[in-house]
Amino acid sequence: MTSLEDLRRINARCIHCRACQYAYSGEPDRQGETEEYTGMLQGCPAGIYYGWEGYYNSGKQWIARAWLNGEIEPSQELLKVVEACTTCGMCETQCPNYINTVEVTEALRAAVIEAGVEPLPRHKIIGDRVHDEELRNPYNEPRNQRTAWYDGEVDRKDAKVAYFVGCTGSYRQQDIAKHTASILKKLGIDFTVMTQEVCCGSPILRTGQRDKFREVMEENLELFKDFDLLVFSCAGCYKTFRNDYPRFSGKPLPFKVRHTVELVYDLIKEGKLEIKKEYPKKVTWHDPCHSIRHVGLAIEKEILAQSDNWLIDSRKAEKAKEEHFEIPRVVLRAIPGLDLHEMYRIKGDSFCCGAGGGVKTQFPDMALAAAKERLREAASTGAEVLMTSCPFCVTNFTDGVKALREEQEATGEKKPGADLEVVELLQVLDELIE
Amino acid sequence: MTRYNHVTDDVVKKLVSICGEQYVTTSEPLRHSYMARGIMGLEAVLPEVIVRPADVEEVSQILVIANEHLIPVTPAAGGLSGGFALPAIEPGGIYMDMTRMNRLTVDTENRVMIVEPGVKSGDAWRIFKVKYPEWAPPIPDGAPPAATILGDAIERGFSLVTGVYGPQADMIMGLEVVLPTGDIFRTGSWALDGAKPFYRWGLGPNPDGLFLGSQGSMGIITKAAIKIVPHPHHKTVVAYGGQNWDDIIKPAWEISKHELGVAENTVMVQGGNWPLVMTRWPKSNVPTDYEFYKKLGISEYWMNYEIWAWSDEELEYVKKKIDETYKWYEEEAGTKCPQWKLHPKQVASRLKKPNKIAIPYSLWQAGFLFITWYTPWLESPAMMEEYCAKMEEYGFPPTMWVASIDHARQAIVMPILCFDSTEPGIYDKIREFNTETTRSFLKKGWLNYRPDPFVHAPETFSRAPNFYRMLVKFRKVLDPNLILHPGRLAIPWEAVTDMPSPLQGDGE
Ligand SMILES: Cc1cc2nc3c(=O)[nH]c(=O)nc-3n(C[C@H](O)[C@H](O)[C@H](O)COP(=O)(O)OP(=O)(O)OC[C@H]3O[C@@H](n4cnc5c(N)ncnc54)[C@H](O)[C@@H]3O)c2cc1C
Ligand code: SF4
Ligand code: SF4
Repeated sequence: MTSLEDLRRINARCIHCRACQYAYSGEPDRQGETEEYTGMLQGCPAGIYYGWEGYYNSGKQWIARAWLNGEIEPSQELLKVVEACTTCGMCETQCPNYINTVEVTEALRAAVIEAGVEPLPRHKIIGDRVHDEELRNPYNEPRNQRTAWYDGEVDRKDAKVAYFVGCTGSYRQQDIAKHTASILKKLGIDFTVMTQEVCCGSPILRTGQRDKFREVMEENLELFKDFDLLVFSCAGCYKTFRNDYPRFSGKPLPFKVRHTVELVYDLIKEGKLEIKKEYPKKVTWHDPCHSIRHVGLAIEKEILAQSDNWLIDSRKAEKAKEEHFEIPRVVLRAIPGLDLHEMYRIKGDSFCCGAGGGVKTQFPDMALAAAKERLREAASTGAEVLMTSCPFCVTNFTDGVKALREEQEATGEKKPGADLEVVELLQVLDELIE
Repeated sequence: MTRYNHVTDDVVKKLVSICGEQYVTTSEPLRHSYMARGIMGLEAVLPEVIVRPADVEEVSQILVIANEHLIPVTPAAGGLSGGFALPAIEPGGIYMDMTRMNRLTVDTENRVMIVEPGVKSGDAWRIFKVKYPEWAPPIPDGAPPAATILGDAIERGFSLVTGVYGPQADMIMGLEVVLPTGDIFRTGSWALDGAKPFYRWGLGPNPDGLFLGSQGSMGIITKAAIKIVPHPHHKTVVAYGGQNWDDIIKPAWEISKHELGVAENTVMVQGGNWPLVMTRWPKSNVPTDYEFYKKLGISEYWMNYEIWAWSDEELEYVKKKIDETYKWYEEEAGTKCPQWKLHPKQVASRLKKPNKIAIPYSLWQAGFLFITWYTPWLESPAMMEEYCAKMEEYGFPPTMWVASIDHARQAIVMPILCFDSTEPGIYDKIREFNTETTRSFLKKGWLNYRPDPFVHAPETFSRAPNFYRMLVKFRKVLDPNLILHPGRLAIPWEAVTDMPSPLQGDGE
């Protein structure tokens, strides 16, 4: 089920009820800590920024329907509307008709491009770079430097576990790659990294450039096929492997996949890991859409796909999804001294950082607006640290904090969120695990 | 036949000069994003331009332009009535998205709130919860949180207290209306400069009814003063089963008809049949045999009573009285109406307002339609019997919902037509079904209250020619060029039907 045509009957379930515009659309009585954060709240970064119905998922579902019915022409204008969405999946959480909202949006983008419309300029650049055999990454960095950050032995044939580093870890946030490798070592995991690893394809899949995506997917699947387990530090790569590769390859993955935070969680649950060092800070946690919401939703839908009685099994499926949402919380609670203060919009109803789905590169203003909104929410908890585990969230929040500080300086007015310290959980875990 | 003009670049420029560039669009994808075919209306035409006015003055100026250029205008608040809130006939003209007008003020002393068209139920609920917890806004009971209070009042919908207070339109204390000519006025005591909206019948004959139920085809409402209701926090829901429709309708009549006491506490009386549970799930992934539902404790027919009280003792008293009525009825009618033991989670989910309970009927296949009728309460079993039989004949599951209005004076009877919107010819089939049932029901004196412009409106008005004549006269006075929402009320008649016009012989 990858083409928009495949999704026709799912899209046809949309009654345009607009519930998907709100976080907690099903919990109008939800009690928050403050007047502002109570009940249902607007939750779509694109809709909030642009205001028009077409930027909300509810509107996009009907644009997709118009496309399927041949009522709308392929155009840049169309692509611009449907690409301005972080594919965060907040909308998907809300839909009582279980519409795969993000799959529809991504398939619509692909359909428009496949009908001959050029990808949007910034998206085309990253697509071309990933397509380039000398690069195979969106950052225009030489392919042969991909593992330059790593001082261990690469390409080991005898290891059963591989760490899929991803382009951001390899070229931009190498400290995260180093922290992850260090965590894996401390946990006693015998792993390797692969020099021939290529971009997972996430940014080009999200932006509708599917031919190029298939190329890198095939290369990665071939390269890693003999491993038992792939470990990730990037939420986007993890989601792409876990949820998208099986869909697009038509086959189950030949290896298991786990995000490093999940590995830590597994060991804590099994009683094999105890964190003794303290992290004495007031922390709030931001759920990365890819590794938390999207994986949770996939777990729920995988259970339903096997069920011939949704009335009964939907509860079980929802429970499994909720258990997935607990993973980072279990890890955070296992850190001594860490004082967790949750934001209002969390888990399936979390508000996106604003960077995903190709938005940060093509629509930077929208990305920044979303980051600022989330930082304000984070600040409302009284936390000093905003913790998460995703390279894009970290980058976008860091940009958001910087912008708020500049605004603060320019206006002399206090901007909630400007004082937050943005921290990657993997870094903290590396510092704490002995 | 009225001829409408298309929206030209010149018109767009004028609209931009009124609302600002940011709030006017002719973007093809954005126009398509407002479309919907389902819920209340299946037929919808693509608008040519979307405008998002900020206030009443902008609304008025837009209407003046539309009049000047003979361009049709369709207002929409939350847009949750699907095709019902979209242009019905070509050309699509101007679509007025009123969501930017979303101010809400509350006057607890006079027990009234003033809402603009964009105030959503979910937002109002949050604001009341935080600021006025002792009061409740009469939001539509089962509509999703993005439905607006004003949109529901315009449709004379079904609120969370309709069982006691009557249809949503009965909660209106005053309106601010912009006529298609651009004139602005207020109704009720509110019409008097500086007066509060405390008396709905106001300064003289009250024209509110012309604007409530005409779905925006007489004028555009920019503000409404609406009653708020006391919100006691001792609440519960009890449910009783039955062997047939009579078993749920008659005891409810016994409980409600006294109007005082227990009847006042049962703010919401609503029920249905077992397919209401089944068709919220995919047809291919849920048991379709009643036996399964029976084992879950679901009655074939049931009625829910939502009770609000000031204390637990009062709550218990009401429950006891309802139970006594059922015991009496069982004996009287020689039937069984077992009480449905609701799990606390089921009670909580039924008490949740607004909610998403009615959204998943699309899962059954891929699409659904609510068809809403009013009947005298005790005639509703006959209607539901006939409706369910027809639904099955046409191959639709017989999903039926019913609720009391104003202490079981009237019933709102609502079949939920679950269908596959991707099936070729399905819309013709639904129209045929609608036509056949409508003809039969109209003969019995039952009314459709959210009329489909192509079926219910012409079928109804052709049986009420004198009323239709009066309606056309009013419409022509208020909207001489018939620019508002053309087709919605079958005015002009030829725009929607080939049936002979009730105006024939009137020189039309
Ligand atoms: C799943 C579901 C469940 C529902 N359950 C209920 C329920 O329990 N009770 C109930 O009553 N309703 C129910 N509805 C219907 C829904 O509540 C109403 O359609 C909704 O309240 C109308 O509000 P709206 O803002 O969506 O109006 P819209 O759909 O925007 O408008 C309603 C009508 O009024 C016209 N209109 C809009 N704004 C103006 C204006 N300012 N001036 C003049 N005319 C205007 C529109 O053209 C349209 O014809 C349900 C709908 C759905 C989808
Ligand atoms: S996607 Fe789902 S929640 Fe959103 S408008 Fe459509 S049916 Fe409603
Ligand atoms: S995926 Fe996120 S940004 Fe995109 S429409 Fe849904 S809620 Fe909005």
